[in-house]
Amino acid sequence: MSAAPAAGDEADQPPFLGCESCGLVSINALAGQEAGNRVQHCSRCGHVLLARKPMSVQRTWACVLAAAVLYIPANVLPVMTTVSALQREEHTLLGGILELWVDGSWALSIIVFIASIAVPVLKISVLTLLAWSVRHAPGWRRLERARLYRLVEAVGHWSMLDVYVVVLLASTIHFGRLANVSAGPGILSFAAVVVLTLLATYAFDPKLIWDGPVTEAGVSSTPGEAALPADREAAHAGRAA
Amino acid sequence: MSRQEDSLVVCEQCGKAHRWRPLVRGMIARCARCEAVLGRGHRLKLTTILALTVAAAVAFLIGISSDVLSLSMRGVSKATTLPGAISATWSEGQELVAVAAAITALIAPALFLALRLYVLVPLSAGRAPRGFAFCVRVLHHAGRWNMVEVFTIGVLLALVRLAGLADVTPGPGLFALGAATLLFAAIESAGLKHLWWQLR
Repeated sequence: MSAAPAAGDEADQPPFLGCESCGLVSINALAGQEAGNRVQHCSRCGHVLLARKPMSVQRTWACVLAAAVLYIPANVLPVMTTVSALQREEHTLLGGILELWVDGSWALSIIVFIASIAVPVLKISVLTLLAWSVRHAPGWRRLERARLYRLVEAVGHWSMLDVYVVVLLASTIHFGRLANVSAGPGILSFAAVVVLTLLATYAFDPKLIWDGPVTEAGVSSTPGEAALPADREAAHAGRAA
Repeated sequence: MSRQEDSLVVCEQCGKAHRWRPLVRGMIARCARCEAVLGRGHRLKLTTILALTVAAAVAFLIGISSDVLSLSMRGVSKATTLPGAISATWSEGQELVAVAAAITALIAPALFLALRLYVLVPLSAGRAPRGFAFCVRVLHHAGRWNMVEVFTIGVLLALVRLAGLADVTPGPGLFALGAATLLFAAIESAGLKHLWWQLR
């Protein structure tokens, strides 16, 4: 990362802080001053009140890069080894999907493709984009980026699917020389990718998307007195489900 | 030190402050800036959530103690439970994979249910449980890492994959886990923060 301070790097100090744990809103006692070492705690549940998750971008980068590196062995190494009376076969993630496709179970192979390939790739690329844009394109398509983050948050844990399938197959098929399935080294890398991308998702603070200079008209992200009255009308324009 | 603002709600996703108004059933309040859901007007009653949690606990206990699938091959039959599959993975040398599966499919949901019950029983009697704030914080993480629904689909997938090789039958555990999955979703839809509203 460049040494020059970029917009969105310093946490803005909003006038109100919502408690992450209990939802109570407190007045930000540190607004407009250097935070220093002082921290505010929620008066109801005692949870620490922070305007932004600390070191959010750095932690996201660390987890995303580790996940991206581990994604290579996860795809190259076999995730499963099947041994039958006649042959010994090693299956990779993509190979397993291809086998399902060739066997004619298209629906199944699409499900596995989405869970094992599409979701991890989506998570790694979206989190890379989000972490990069916080520093380098803070004003770019904020609403779309916020939606992307929520999408990643919602579908993230489905990539665990293949890990469970391998765990189940490897523990069930133990018939000696007749048929035997064991987990391969690839599944460890893949499980690590899943866990790391989840950690990266939780490390990223979506509030960072809204920091920095305001570009869209009518949207105010500047802290201060003007923020609330403007909200009164727009807030709770609740939509029927 | 910090004055509390009861009539306000701050968007979890973008930090924008909104004035809080009670919602009618079926209404969803969204953030005016990032469109994230601020609150829903279909909150279940506390006793309903307690009942759902008890049901989910029963379903989950059945789900982990009985077979999720069984197969037979040339007269030899074998059945697998969720903990059995995890311990087999551990003894096969894939300890880290076993730990990841255990945390996401066993420990997180168990913690989710145990802490919910621990919190909901005194709350429905009008008392605050000891360590309430800590429990809510742990519940937040337990909910995030609970992947029982993914495991349930994983069992289905394993069944289909095995169908070509051997005689497979879904076990009672699979149906119990499926039921638990639906109940988890119903419990989670109410969120966690509403628990604090009971303390007024």
